[in-house]
This record gives sequence, C-alpha cells and structure tokens, in this order.
Amino acid sequence: MTILYDEQQQAIAEEAARILAARTSGEHLKTLLETSGAYDETFWDTAREQGWTGIGIPEEEGGIGLGLVELGLIAEACGAVAAGAPFLNSGFGAAQAILAYGDATARGAWLPRLAVGDAIGAIAFAEGADMLPASPSLRCTNGRLTGSKPAVAGGSAADIAIVLASGEHGPVLALVALDQAGVARTVFDTFDNSRCAADLAFENAEATVLDSGDALAAALHILSLQAVVTAHEQVGGAARMMTTARDYALTRTAFGQVIGGFQSVKHRIAEDYVLVELARANAVQAAASHGSPAFARNAAAARLSATEAYDTVSRDATQVHGGIGVTWESDLHLHQRRARSLAIEQGPMPFWEDILVDLLAGEDA
Amino acid sequence: MNPEIEAYRDQARAWLETQIPQFGRAARKGLSEADDLALARQWQAVKYDAGYAAISWPTDHCGQGLSLLHRLAFEQEEIKHGFPNDYFGVSLGMPVPIVLRHQPGEWARERARAALRGEEIWCQLFSEPAGGSDLAGLRTKAEQDPATGDWIVTGQKLWTTWAQYSDYGVIVVRTDPTVQKHKGLTYFWVDMKAPGVTVRPVRLAEGRSEVNEVFFDEVRVPDSQRLGAVGGGFGVAMETLTIERYQATDPAGFGPPLQLFIDEAKATQVRGRPAIEDGRVRERIARTYAMQSAMGAIYQRTLLSLAAGLQPGPEGAVHKLVSVRARQKLSEFAMDLQGVNGMRFDDELARKESWAKSWLTAPTGRIAGGADEMLLNTIAEKILGLPQDYRPDKGVPFNQIPR
Repeated sequence: MTILYDEQQQAIAEEAARILAARTSGEHLKTLLETSGAYDETFWDTAREQGWTGIGIPEEEGGIGLGLVELGLIAEACGAVAAGAPFLNSGFGAAQAILAYGDATARGAWLPRLAVGDAIGAIAFAEGADMLPASPSLRCTNGRLTGSKPAVAGGSAADIAIVLASGEHGPVLALVALDQAGVARTVFDTFDNSRCAADLAFENAEATVLDSGDALAAALHILSLQAVVTAHEQVGGAARMMTTARDYALTRTAFGQVIGGFQSVKHRIAEDYVLVELARANAVQAAASHGSPAFARNAAAARLSATEAYDTVSRDATQVHGGIGVTWESDLHLHQRRARSLAIEQGPMPFWEDILVDLLAGEDA
Repeated sequence: MNPEIEAYRDQARAWLETQIPQFGRAARKGLSEADDLALARQWQAVKYDAGYAAISWPTDHCGQGLSLLHRLAFEQEEIKHGFPNDYFGVSLGMPVPIVLRHQPGEWARERARAALRGEEIWCQLFSEPAGGSDLAGLRTKAEQDPATGDWIVTGQKLWTTWAQYSDYGVIVVRTDPTVQKHKGLTYFWVDMKAPGVTVRPVRLAEGRSEVNEVFFDEVRVPDSQRLGAVGGGFGVAMETLTIERYQATDPAGFGPPLQLFIDEAKATQVRGRPAIEDGRVRERIARTYAMQSAMGAIYQRTLLSLAAGLQPGPEGAVHKLVSVRARQKLSEFAMDLQGVNGMRFDDELARKESWAKSWLTAPTGRIAGGADEMLLNTIAEKILGLPQDYRPDKGVPFNQIPR
C-alpha cells in the first residue's frame, strides 16, 4: 500500500469532512461535557449511515472492506471537529480482535452487528498505570470472568468488550457481552465526558476466550491498530488547531498590526506546522504498512508523533488566542480536552516509547 | 516503488560497492585535504565515465537524460559510503547548471564537462558580511566602464564554500544603489583567477576551512559574462537556489545514525544498569526514531509525487530545520552518556561516525543554507500565509537605508 493517497481516498476524506462540518456543533459537544456517560449520537448515526463502522471488516463478515488508510482518513476528519466517539477506535479494535482470533460463532454473532454499528465494542486491557499487564488481576476461569477493569473508554455505552485477563495458563484475550447480570458498570466524570469512560466490574460473567496465541502480543497488535486510527484523529485535531491559530493570528491586531506578524507568534505556529506534518507522515506511513513487518514500529512512531503534535498544538493555539482562548465559549478547550483524552486512552507516551525501544533494541532492551 | 527506478538503484548499488576500496570512507582516512581533493577529483572522473555524474542532466549538457528519481536513487546509495564528493556539491548543484541554462553553447558545455569530471570547480558568491539571511542587502558593487562595457567589481563576499579551490564562480553584485535593494542587483559569472580576486579561507570553530572570504578589488568582468538582465540579479539568484530543490536527504541530519546511539546505549552502564534500560535514554531513542521515521516518510511521499507527475507538498521544507536541530541535541546526549569519556575527540572521525564531531559541526548546519529562524519564516510566510516581518527597508532606495 502506498503512502500517496489516490483519488478515491481523497474523495472519502473530503466527503467525511463535508458531512461532519454540517452535523457537528461546538455547542452540542459542550453540553456533552457537562453530562456523564453520554456520547454524540448524531455523530454515531452519521458513522453508521456512512458505513464508517464497517471499514476494515471484510464484506463476507458484513463489513465494507477497505482498510486502515481509509479509516485513518475518516478519523482525521473526525479529529478536526473534535467529533467522534471512543468507538471509532475501540469498535474497530474489538472487531479486528474478533476477526483475527474469534471462532465462527463469535464472528457470526458480532461482526455483522459491529459492522453496521448496531453493536458497540470496547477494549479493556489496561489496569491503572499498566497498559498491558502481564498478570492481569481480572481472572478468567472456565469461561467466567471475575475482577475489574478501570476507566474503560466507551465502557458505559459498549455492548461487548475484549478484555485481557489471567487464564489458567497465563494471560488470555476474552470476549465478554456487557449486558449480563455479572457485569456492573460505574460511570464517572472525566474532563472529556463524551468518551464514556466507565469502571467495569465482573462477577462470574460469561466470556469467550479468544484463540489469540500469545495474548500479550495479540493485545499489543490490537492496541497498535487502534493507535494508528487514533493517530489520524490526533493529526486531524492538531491540524485544525494549527489553522485556527493561524487564522486568528491573521485577524487579531495588537500594537498596530496583526499578531501573526510578530515572530514570537508566527514561529510558534510554524513549529506547530512542523509537528503536524511529522505526525501526518508517520500516521499515513503506519496505515499503509498494515500487514508488513514494519507495522508495529510504524504504529508506535505514529502514536508518539501524533500525541506530541495534538497536545502541543492545542496548547499553543490557546496561547495564541490569549484571553479569549481560555473562555468556555471559544471551543478551544474542546480540543485541549480531546488532545489529552486521546493521549491517555490508547496508551500514554511513556508506554509507546517503551514499546518502540523494545522493537528497536531487541530482546536485551 | 517504481520498478525501473528500483532496478536502476540495484545497478547503482552494485557498482558503488565495487568502488568502496578505492574511494570509500576508509580509503580517505588520514588523508591531507590536498590528497583528499585529489582523490575526490579522481572519484568524480570515475563517476562521469560510468554515467553517474550528471544523471538527471540533459544529454546535450553531458548528462544521462534520466529523471530526478534516478538521480535521487543514486545519491541515496552513494551517501552511505562516505565517498569524497564534498568538493563538488555546490559546483554541480547550482553554478554550473545556471550557467548552462542562461548561456548555453560550446563554452558552457566544455565547462560542464570539466566540472563533472572534477577538473574544474565553481563556487557561488552570494553571502556577504552585510548580507547573509538578507541576501538582497549585499554591498559588493559593479560599475560599468562606458568605454568597454566591462563591469568593475569591488567588494567582499563571505562564507563562499570551496572558493579556495574554485576556477570560476557565479556572483550577485549591486549595479544600482539608487533603487530599492532587490532591484539594483545583477548576476555574472567570474573567473576566480582574474586579477584583483583574493581568496582567504575562514577557519570555522570546528577547525576546518571549507568556507572563505573573497575580496574583489576592481576586478574587470566583461558584460558577456552577465546572466540575465541588468537589475535582474535577485531573480537569477532565486532561480539558482531552486535548482537543487529536491536532494537526497538524511533523516539523521548528516550526523551519526540512531542505530549507533542504540548500540552504545546497550554497551554503556548508568547507575549499574544498561543505559538502554534508562527511561531518559529510552525516551530519547523513541522520540528521535519517530522524528526520523516521519522525515523518511515525507521524503518518500515527495518521491512518489514526483514519480506520479504531481507537485510534491511543501512539507519537505521542514527537513533541514528538524533533522539538524535533532542531531545537535542527540549528539550532546550521546556525549553525556559516555561520562567523562565524552571529552575525547578524534578529529580524524567523520561527523557521521563521531558524536563529538557531529556536535561540533551542528551549529554550522543550523546556519548554512538558511538559519532555523529563516526557515521558520519561510514556513510561516510561504506555506501558512502569515505576514512578512516588519521591514523598515521595504521600498526604500538602497543608498537611503540607514546602516
């Protein structure tokens, strides 16, 4: 797969941007900030209607085919308007886990539903600061889960989760339906409430162990896939913050000229451009290398560049706006919040740095 | 990738490997600069005879008539082995092509052939003490002798790469100080052996003297050596600088590869543990890798765009800014990692094999060919459409600008 978008891919990106611009509003997103556990249903309806939920799922499993490059372009468009629900990443990750490691029953039960967005998927690997625990406290015995997973993105809305648990012979990946008696969800407030984070508690909950082989390696692969989607979303957000800062710097005047004429401002925005372009290049490269031996390291690199870009550029954009930038009304804080929630959800920088160095330095790292 | 280019790359790689014993990094070790230059001239002739010296030049300019992609593929392979091509980069990159473009003919073809074979070297006389980043602020003047039409050039150029070995140069001079600064400049080629030309090497902080100051004391230049119109010199200078727009790049910023840092981190201990296990070291490796990987992807996309007949995006402009700055920081950190042994310095080592050499030469890299600050201005103004800096000299005749 090439890193140069073809015409069809560019059309997908433009169409996604057009629809999202028409259907997303900062006002609506701000009401979600003050509501616990509610997501942007207009967005999710749009994603279903446009077939975005079926990307990366083969047609014979109920999806629409296409791949990470196309989903990345959609994610980038979503990121630009801080739209999106956590399921854009984790729904994809859950579907990929079932596709790769699920038996015919699991695939038949969930892939067609995930593909059309009738079901929502979540990923629950992390336990606190450990994104990929080698000995999870969540236990899976005889197809039953007991224990908990904290702060699962999309956890309050998801129908299923793919969990990393300790089986009888080491870690396993398991598929668990969340609307059963043995599952309790506790929604809690976050600084970006529409991410629908929830603590999940399992008490003898029925689960299907997936045939993942080395569960930690499989979990990392799923995280890498999600990381690439998220990296595109971050690039979209970072690029929008960069152009928002640029546009403001071209209109706001102080000391007799537009502030974009001052080097302290223009160089800050130029540095942000650099971060955005580095992140974009890595994201595209990672998506295009899906299936190649370089994918894992490309995904980690994409994740690092994208997190650095979105955090930095959203911070800088607020700074360039001055006082107006820190108001509730300005909407900049929607991106500031999203930059941080995306930075954390799919594994923070130190986690991906370690993953990347392990890949680069080999076993003795 | 394009199969034709890849086949060409394979063929070039195989040929280059046969040349390593005679011209590679090891063969150059310990040579005086004079001997290295002599070896470099030989290397250039060997390349010319093999059809690799002017890959993308037209055949009637002694080239192979192949595409830019062929040339970049060759350069990417050539860059790996430390061949002695330092002395010809400027010469063949800008002055010779601009002369061929503006004064095509037998004389220019002879010069091109001699330059491609390493027999002659050209330099580019642009920067001055008063005009580096602000090129149009230059003061070297040329006045026309009404009797002969010759131009009499007087002034000083600075930072002129390899002027000490140059046979010819291209120069921008002020021919009319009464108009605003960009409009009073004219472009010529000059004979560096002409009476009145004095070249004095400038020793840089790192100890070497690749650059020079060049004095012109009433040097007579025939009007036939003018390239472009009188007063059109700034335009020709800008045209010169865009000839080499797409070059083989090095994500390591022409410093040591990241793999060297990783290898050293594995072999070094910090507080009794391998440095590769230290979080600070790991962070640096990961961040540097991510940056270099992105630079590589940007470059690949440029190549793919060119191959598809598309105009590459402007993002290639970030390359020098990002890669050299990162090289400087990584070099400092690599020296820190060696503890007190970081003090050791072997001047024989190249900047791609020595962190200390890389560190010592990095400031030059961040200034030559566009200082970081100018590159940021270019990104801000040309790509993002932000306003130019406040320029009090704008629209003012050159001779009325306060000094």
